[in-house]
Amino acid sequence: MSNFIFGRYLPGHSWIHRMSPQSKLLLSFYFVIVIFFANNGYSYGLLSALIVFVILMSGVSIAYFLKGIRPLIWLIVFTVLLQVLFSSGGHVLWHFGPFSITDQSLINGGFIFIRFLLIIMISTVLTLTTTPLAIADGVQTVLKPLKKVKFPVDTLALMLSIALRFVPTLMDEMETILNAQRARGVDFGSGSLKHRVKAAVPLLVPLFTGAINHAENLSTAMEARGFSDSEHRTKYRLYKWQFRDTISWIVFLLVGGLVLVFRKY
Amino acid sequence: MDKAISLKNVTHTYQANTPFAQNALDNVTLNIEKGEFTAIIGHTGSGKSTLVQHINALLKPTTGSLNVLGKVITPTTTNKNLKAFRKQVGMVFQFPEKQLFEETVIKDIMFGPKNYGATDEEARHSAEHAMKLVGLDHSLSNKSPFDLSGGQMRRVAIAGVLAMDPEILILDEPTAGLDPRGHNEIMDLAKYLNQQQHMTIILITHQMDDVVNYATNVVVMDQGQAVKIGPPDTIFTNLDWLRKMQLDLPSSAEFARKLESAGIAFDQLPLTVNQLVDRVAQLVGKKAAHE
Repeated sequence: MSNFIFGRYLPGHSWIHRMSPQSKLLLSFYFVIVIFFANNGYSYGLLSALIVFVILMSGVSIAYFLKGIRPLIWLIVFTVLLQVLFSSGGHVLWHFGPFSITDQSLINGGFIFIRFLLIIMISTVLTLTTTPLAIADGVQTVLKPLKKVKFPVDTLALMLSIALRFVPTLMDEMETILNAQRARGVDFGSGSLKHRVKAAVPLLVPLFTGAINHAENLSTAMEARGFSDSEHRTKYRLYKWQFRDTISWIVFLLVGGLVLVFRKY
Repeated sequence: MDKAISLKNVTHTYQANTPFAQNALDNVTLNIEKGEFTAIIGHTGSGKSTLVQHINALLKPTTGSLNVLGKVITPTTTNKNLKAFRKQVGMVFQFPEKQLFEETVIKDIMFGPKNYGATDEEARHSAEHAMKLVGLDHSLSNKSPFDLSGGQMRRVAIAGVLAMDPEILILDEPTAGLDPRGHNEIMDLAKYLNQQQHMTIILITHQMDDVVNYATNVVVMDQGQAVKIGPPDTIFTNLDWLRKMQLDLPSSAEFARKLESAGIAFDQLPLTVNQLVDRVAQLVGKKAAHE
């Protein structure tokens, strides 16, 4: 589990680290949409080149990056296999019962593989270079227009930033409780399914009571410091749109345009 | 004396081979004998908690090996067959009241023994015995642990470990957050278990008074290394060194130093209140004989 980097933050000072979170969020979103417009070798090649460039710009070593997303490869392989074995159309190359492989399904499978990889890579770059708090701030900025339809954007952003901030705390607590119960003779992760479910109780009950205690203490502490509602607040962290954001958007828009052009070939 | 615990060149790195890698233990070699009361001290983040989790095989060394009650733990030791071993090493974590989960106090205390194969009756017997040891009234047996006060919850948690009847008891800051009375009761319990039941006790603490009052052996940790090992009176001699380790003097020694600066000389710094009283009484007696 410790090698798994999806969703983690790696401190740094690269170009991408210093971009504003709202533009990074929107860029990743935009990139994912562009991926679905790609439909041939040229466009996928171009997008792959862009993602390699982005990873290089993020200052994370490619080897470490690939190692970190390796645990997700099984999910991808599973999906691709389903696609390859069950889709129809094109020349049948091999078939057995309900399974068949056609030249078309092989190509589709390959594209799905690349799509998955590209999506995972761009979102991993996002989380590796952006602190959870910055992501929460970015979400708040991006969702601001929804305020017009009475969507509680500020409350959501508050919940998001509190949730993100408590992820490591709760992980630590889980680790401690896990160890404490292990020391009392609980065997986690072995035996029958029933046994395993039963073994989760001594972990889950303290984890939930702990979370409730945290919530109670935190809300008291927030009230004591003058928090009344999440609207009508000023902000301490401000992320301004910078020149580097504009440049990055220009690069991404150019690539997006090229992908649309390549569609016709 | 027999060795209960012996560590040989134990190193532990968290999240090895990643940018998050953190060296928590650095080549630690130390022996702890049976029946000893060992205090582990050192500033926050010096590796104390990591060290004691090795004794229970909750963590395994990255390199090196350790031998606990005849069981050898190496980097390649698997989690199989560790259950019987863990029964012998009771571990009370920081804020152990967080681990309570059963509906009633007695059930929670019985949980440990039952995991190690005790029958309901045996488990209840040892649970009741443990409750008596930690000073919990019998009438609390059927209460929910979540209805108790913080100090009582702490005792239930400790009783849950004692009910397994371990040979080695590890206490990771057992008195943190307790009032002075709860503090003394828990420390006296540790002393009783050590002296009457001959349990090997390992105590992690920031309270130097506890170190000099209870421990027979002290391990000083700094940056993942065991920098000094010995009885309390050899640890608290070099003041400059203590300051460098971010450690304090026990309060009696602190007071004696103030007396020294007022012109009263001690040939050796008194560490406990009793030693201080003896020395002062001697000095007063000398003075009286003089006059």
